Amino acid sequence: MSNVLRPYLAAVRSTLTAALTLENFSSQVVERHNKPEVEAAGSKEVLLNPLTISRNENERVLIEPSVNSIRLSIKIKQADEIERILCHKFTRFMMQRAESFIVLRRKPVPGYDISFLITNTHSETMLKHKIVDFIIQFMEEVDREISEMKLSLNARARIVAESYLTAFNS
Amino acid sequence: MSVLAPIICDNGTGYSKVGFAGNSDPSFVFPTAIATRGSASQQSNAPAVPSKPGHLASKRGVEDLDFFIGDEALANAKTPGYGVHYPIRHGMIDNWDHMERYWEQTIFKYLRAEPEDHYFLLTEPPLNAPENREQTAEIFFESFNIKGLYIAVQAVLALAASWSSNRVTDRTLTGTVIDSGDGVTHVIPVAEGYVIGSAIKHIPIAGRDISQFVLNLMRERGEMATVPPEDQLRVASKVKENYSYVCQDIVKEFRKYDAEPYKHFERYEGEHSVTGRTSDTERFLAPEIFFNPEIYSSDFLTPLPEIVDEVIQQSPIDVRRGLYKNIVLSGGSTMFQHFGQRLKRDLKQLVDGRLDARQLASGSLQKSSGVDVDVISHKRQRLLWFGGSLLASLPEFYTSCHTKAQYDEIGPSICRRYQIFGSAT
Amino acid sequence: MILLEPHNVIIQTTLSEKILKPSSVDVQFVDYDGVRFHLSTPERKTVLLLSMHIRCWDELVKYGALNVLKREYGSLLQPQSEPEYNVSLAIDLEQLPASNEDRESFIMSIALFKRNALAAPFEAGFTSQKSLESAGAGTGELMQIHYRDEEAIYIQASHDRVTVIFSTVFRDETDRIYGKVFLQEFVDARRQPSIQNAPQVLYSNRDPPLEIRHLPNLRNTEDTGYVTFLFRDYLHYHIKCSKAYMHSRMRHRVAEFQKVLNRAKTEVATSEKKTVSGRTLVSR
Repeated sequence: MSNVLRPYLAAVRSTLTAALTLENFSSQVVERHNKPEVEAAGSKEVLLNPLTISRNENERVLIEPSVNSIRLSIKIKQADEIERILCHKFTRFMMQRAESFIVLRRKPVPGYDISFLITNTHSETMLKHKIVDFIIQFMEEVDREISEMKLSLNARARIVAESYLTAFNS
Repeated sequence: MSVLAPIICDNGTGYSKVGFAGNSDPSFVFPTAIATRGSASQQSNAPAVPSKPGHLASKRGVEDLDFFIGDEALANAKTPGYGVHYPIRHGMIDNWDHMERYWEQTIFKYLRAEPEDHYFLLTEPPLNAPENREQTAEIFFESFNIKGLYIAVQAVLALAASWSSNRVTDRTLTGTVIDSGDGVTHVIPVAEGYVIGSAIKHIPIAGRDISQFVLNLMRERGEMATVPPEDQLRVASKVKENYSYVCQDIVKEFRKYDAEPYKHFERYEGEHSVTGRTSDTERFLAPEIFFNPEIYSSDFLTPLPEIVDEVIQQSPIDVRRGLYKNIVLSGGSTMFQHFGQRLKRDLKQLVDGRLDARQLASGSLQKSSGVDVDVISHKRQRLLWFGGSLLASLPEFYTSCHTKAQYDEIGPSICRRYQIFGSAT
Repeated sequence: MILLEPHNVIIQTTLSEKILKPSSVDVQFVDYDGVRFHLSTPERKTVLLLSMHIRCWDELVKYGALNVLKREYGSLLQPQSEPEYNVSLAIDLEQLPASNEDRESFIMSIALFKRNALAAPFEAGFTSQKSLESAGAGTGELMQIHYRDEEAIYIQASHDRVTVIFSTVFRDETDRIYGKVFLQEFVDARRQPSIQNAPQVLYSNRDPPLEIRHLPNLRNTEDTGYVTFLFRDYLHYHIKCSKAYMHSRMRHRVAEFQKVLNRAKTEVATSEKKTVSGRTLVSR
């Protein structure tokens, strides 16, 4: 991890840990319902102040806490067209498999690339610090993966072009 | 623009059948095998994760293009550095990475088709998980940008294939499919194109068991003494394929052999110039294990006609007539001579017996009009593929496909919706 | 498999099969660029009729495709092609070259049917370049081959070069971006000293005529006599391959993330519950 990235991730980590204080909370609007309040947004008083941690204009994290759930959205760095499409592909691929990533949201919040929704059930059945670890590791590796995919795409294109043009030598 | 013929891809556990719709036979039939580089050594290190592309950072080249499929894969099995994999297990896709590359080479190297210009028809086993269907759709739409995709259930294709038979007058998609391959036999009831999942039954007797049974019989008579042990099973399966038939009455058949034993002997000449004098009784006893399983196995004792009857009785009452009327045989182990007639006779006896008993018990004078039982057997080797080809040449095919535009709109979940078409009823 | 082969595998395998064992056949199949083939035995089992339909046949004929095919196939070429198809070859299995090697090269030449048909405009381009070279100036006719609905090859000879322009359309956004990367690499790779013999490559990403469509143009200047006709297919094939590769990478990565997340799950202690008689309770 580069030194520039570290404070950014540390900020996300401590904010997220602090925000992950969730409790079981029944809906105040509909009887016998228990919904993630941050999604339902039925009663204003259980929503807490959303918070953005921004590294630069291209990379930021939005954390929206509420009494029984927390939504975390990530904007991933996209320098050019290729990175944009690769990032889109990758997040889509992952969200397609949201079933097995229990805390992953199937659609990102508008303006972001990928969103997670952690409810009190998750924080009760899973280890809280490990969930945070997962999200931090995801943020750490997703940048690297995308730039590596871009490199390998370029390398492939080069090999492909060379082998095609070498055929003219014969 | 004239529409190019849809591509039919029937990927089975053993063999893949691929070709263009409208033809009567697939253009290519080759083993569903893929030989990839480096995986053999990787496998010895970490057998648990052979499919993962290992050290990702070091992979900058085009190693993933270095592979063979089909017959070439098997030919390269011995080449150092290559390992052969079978991406499909028990009819289900096991390794998506390999399967994706397998399809890639099938389309570009063998079929030489632009996936963007074609519709595709793929097959799936009954009770396939919808997730598998979504993954398939993801590969075909996102990697290959195909025009449209239709995923058909294999049993339904078998029914569709029998539309061409001249004994079938109406194009119905209701019927019972008996699919017996090498490993397992399924009895699958299909009502108007939809598989009745709860009534499917599996029989643990299939081609391999018959070969083993033939082998046992021949060993007992001492025919196999001259055959090297590694070839014995193959010789037995050759004998099974070439000489076996189904008799109508087992007692009569035994008498016939007892009367003139030498008349019915066949000589078998096989590899290694092995000559086996074969077949007196195993010629008709071998397929007999479907009808009298006790002669081979001690833990599975229900004859095939009874299983078929049970399956149909478990299906909804309003489709039972249709199921009895259209029993379709598919798969290699149903290709014995007279198999269909025997099954039909035995099943008819069961059904008529039940009707008579009921009439007697009710004491009524009203007689049932009877139930038609008909078994349709095919001479065709690639029945499923042919069914696919037939379906895909119908004009309705294009409207029933999931198109690229729909996929982009809705996502892979569109493949959970399954639309039947083409049946006249 | 990096390079695509120019011959058609179906023709190759079917012919080899039929030579060993003649039987009646009636199959239709395709090749790249929407070429349709029909292989049948209309009269007797030993005479195969191979017909081909190419979208741009009229243009090809204009640039001398018939002459090229006559040169390659001689008397095999049928004067009257099958209805719905552009050109037909009749192959008599009883009059084949005797030796195995000749036979294989014969099959190969049949399998190159489409390639040979498409060769005509290129050959025409090279000959006109030769004649212009002696003249020292001037440009030849601009030949257009609309081999697909929206895509075309343009060939123009001038006194010192033959210019070949492939136009291709990427329908998919991802394909378009991948295609750009690939084309850029084609331009860069040419600069390497080892492949200086290859024709010079330029590409331009012109503004689309319609809003929705980009039309990357590839300018490929020919100096030597070797031309392969699979440029577009080659490009598209490798774009698809890269996507497949990306998929396998993503599958791997997602599996890794999954492992990390699974670490967060707490182990639920499962103790076996037994009844008095010793049976185990199973929760479903």
